[in-house]
Amino acid sequence: MVRRWLELITVGSLLLALLAGMATAQTPPRRFSLPDIPNPKVVTYPHEVGKYGGVHVRAQISDPRTFNYRVAQETSSTDILANVFDGLVEQNYITGEIEPALAESWTVSRDGRTWVFTLRQGVTWHDGKPLTVDDVIFSFESVFTEGVQTSARDTLTFEGKPLRFRKLDDRRIEFRTEKPIGTFLRVIGIAILPKHKLAEALAKGGAEFNRTWGVNTPPREIVGTGPYVIAEYVPGQRVTMLRNARYWKVDKAGNRLPYLTRYVRLIVPNLDAARLKFLAGETDVYAARPREFTEFKGLERQNNFTIYDGPETFASEFVVFNQNPAGVKPPKLTWFQDVRFRRAINHAIDRNTIANQIYAGRATPAWGPLSVGNKLYYNDKLPRYEYNLARAEQLLAEAGYRKGGDGFLRDPQGNIVEFTLSTNAENNDRVAMGNILRQDWTKLGIKLTYAPEAFNTLVGKLVGTFNWDAIIIGLTGGIEPVTGKNVWLSSGSLHMWWPKQEKPATEWEAEIDRLFNSAEAEVSQEKRKQFYLRWQQVVAEQVPILYFSYPKTQPAVRNTMGNVTPIGLQGAIGPIDTLYYKQVLR
Amino acid sequence: MLRHIVRRLLQLIPLLLGITVLSFLIIQLSPGDFLAEIRLNPVVSQETVDQMRANFGLDQPLHIQYLRWLSNVVRGDFGYSFAFQVPVLWLIQSRLLNTLLLNVVALVIAWLVAVPIGIHAATRQYSATDNLFSFIAYIGISTPTFFSGLLLLYLAFVTRLLPIGGMTSLDYALLPWWGKVLDVARHIIIPASVLAFLAVAGLMRQMRANLLEVLRQDYVRTARSKGLADRVVIYKHAVRNAINPLITLFGLELGGLLSGSAILENVVGWPGLGQLILDAVTRKDLYVVMGSLVIGGVTLVLGNLVADILLAVADPRIRYD
Repeated sequence: MVRRWLELITVGSLLLALLAGMATAQTPPRRFSLPDIPNPKVVTYPHEVGKYGGVHVRAQISDPRTFNYRVAQETSSTDILANVFDGLVEQNYITGEIEPALAESWTVSRDGRTWVFTLRQGVTWHDGKPLTVDDVIFSFESVFTEGVQTSARDTLTFEGKPLRFRKLDDRRIEFRTEKPIGTFLRVIGIAILPKHKLAEALAKGGAEFNRTWGVNTPPREIVGTGPYVIAEYVPGQRVTMLRNARYWKVDKAGNRLPYLTRYVRLIVPNLDAARLKFLAGETDVYAARPREFTEFKGLERQNNFTIYDGPETFASEFVVFNQNPAGVKPPKLTWFQDVRFRRAINHAIDRNTIANQIYAGRATPAWGPLSVGNKLYYNDKLPRYEYNLARAEQLLAEAGYRKGGDGFLRDPQGNIVEFTLSTNAENNDRVAMGNILRQDWTKLGIKLTYAPEAFNTLVGKLVGTFNWDAIIIGLTGGIEPVTGKNVWLSSGSLHMWWPKQEKPATEWEAEIDRLFNSAEAEVSQEKRKQFYLRWQQVVAEQVPILYFSYPKTQPAVRNTMGNVTPIGLQGAIGPIDTLYYKQVLR
Repeated sequence: MLRHIVRRLLQLIPLLLGITVLSFLIIQLSPGDFLAEIRLNPVVSQETVDQMRANFGLDQPLHIQYLRWLSNVVRGDFGYSFAFQVPVLWLIQSRLLNTLLLNVVALVIAWLVAVPIGIHAATRQYSATDNLFSFIAYIGISTPTFFSGLLLLYLAFVTRLLPIGGMTSLDYALLPWWGKVLDVARHIIIPASVLAFLAVAGLMRQMRANLLEVLRQDYVRTARSKGLADRVVIYKHAVRNAINPLITLFGLELGGLLSGSAILENVVGWPGLGQLILDAVTRKDLYVVMGSLVIGGVTLVLGNLVADILLAVADPRIRYD
């Protein structure tokens, strides 16, 4: 349920535990019961029965910024809190399907607008108080309280109408939406927070709530329902978590999870330090970068770990042209709005060189807005724009662009094709990609100025002044494309090439709007997929965004750990619930 | 003397005002703000971003923002961090002692090593050892701390003799008090020696030059010619006079206690102010930057003041009134 955050500076550390999920809950193979929990959840993914004990250590790049899951925005906080809190539902890390979590079951009305969730019995907070329907109601109230800083409000507001919810009885909650929401289960899994700890702060308003459970809070105050309890936070050094002996999940033999006694998140200053710590044996997991794959492969035996050949991430880097009349004027506007121009340029992007130079070959060329790694919805029949400068020149010529005697490309009116390409200078990979583009585009005769600038400046232009020509940037994606509707709806504020349109400027943008609205309302995953396939087709034909490649993941894990495989979506290793030490030494 | 101190402290006020106004302007007028990253999150709407701006007070005119901040600071409230949503003072206090510890240890090592070496080098000018020390000093002065820090970290990694960065080990909380001291000591060796190496190089050259200067003075020649032992001439007369400029240096170093190790801290993962401030500056976490600037400014001025006082104590010729 963790909302994936834009990976702006670092693409690569994509080991997340849970994302946003989807329909059809599987029935567990066997039923067990625990003294306090009559119907604990039996883990559904393949695993072996593990041993108890051990200290598990992972590195993370920066300090957590808050322990309040509702307002947490960055992975440095959510990577910790995902172990401490649960949602009503959770996502299977391998298939992406939505499964029961704190809610043991649910029903949906025939019109698709009313959902009723039944809470699992006997679940307790870390401080021993029972989890109740009131906690769930409180958690959703916190989302809609004025001033609370949470992106959940946007995902739980449908066409301007907030989600409605009420308590039916001591175990059941009812949710209602104005229209059927097909992706409802994907967005409903927000963290459930304890009312008895946070109600007082929320009553004082949003600003007060945002500050509650800051990193200066004593850890024993932070109570969740998750597999781990925060025991200690030492600023700049580590967060230590201890096993929750009251957790509501069991393995396939009915043993209560999790296995690991202590889980330490070590705070390190940068990726190089994380790498050194892993190679020195101080940490157990490292999300290796594509370029490190071969080197790590060679170190496997000597350092007793395995590096896995993981699937592609959901995030890609791309270049986008400004089509916004408020930002660029003709003739630039005319070129950028001309699909023939964009298609020609798309042939002048050397995706193989990018994959080889930036990702050491560990990336798959991207032809559309969805990653190959998104097995549920990926469209493998998209038109491909193979790297071919002759083809690019031919397409440009067909559109009336010709190279003059001076070697510069001229549009049909005789203007020299001249614009500025930018990216954020802090990101070495993107700067290198820009250099590859520059070489090829210059060969086409484009008079290109390449000017990387500070990230802040770039964003200011992108969403503020709209005063830019072409930008290389990246976005992360969720499994369900409608969560990115801010980018794809023509009215969206992140519809980068022309944000916040009153009404769609082109027919294809109107079609994407329709597809997204239909997909959002469609409950059946199979039908939703049809909308998404068409959307990918439209984007690939109209190329408002020129994608480069989807880099692969390569998690490296110490061989002492069990239940690491299978490797899941975006290179996620086996969840913390079932990880264990084959030999418990420490 | 007292009047001098009071006057110096009063001078702090306009100085700090100037520093804060300027830095506030520079931060705010440079493009972008703390919300830049949030704006690019596909699931966050424009309304949410606007609301956050209002929550942070970033929608107010600049002078209002500054005056509001200033009036709070006067009352001891340094505001809240945008990123952490906790008081700036708590953030700074949670790391202040770590930075102080590192720098004080480095300072002590540096002085204990540099002064004797400097004296040795001056009294045996152009000898083999003098040349050797000079050579080492040049290396020390010209090596950036991040480089020597990385080098030592790599050595620690290869030899496995010392921990690779950080300040304490995982089991720190379970250790007895002497175990805790030893644990921190093991971790501080690398960063402290990097800082000390750099400081030794500069200090030792200073000491050498000062002492050489003094040794050429008439009164030294007089002392020598009236038959005083060489040791007495050097340690009782020459060194005491040569050390004055170093006291000024000492004051400057006191001022740098909180900021001198910022880059190194980021390299070796020392949980000090450096990491916090660098992160705040890049993310434009306004009040954290302002808070640390105020504290840095105050320590710098106080460090200089301490140096002046020490100088007056050490050298009876210097009087401020």
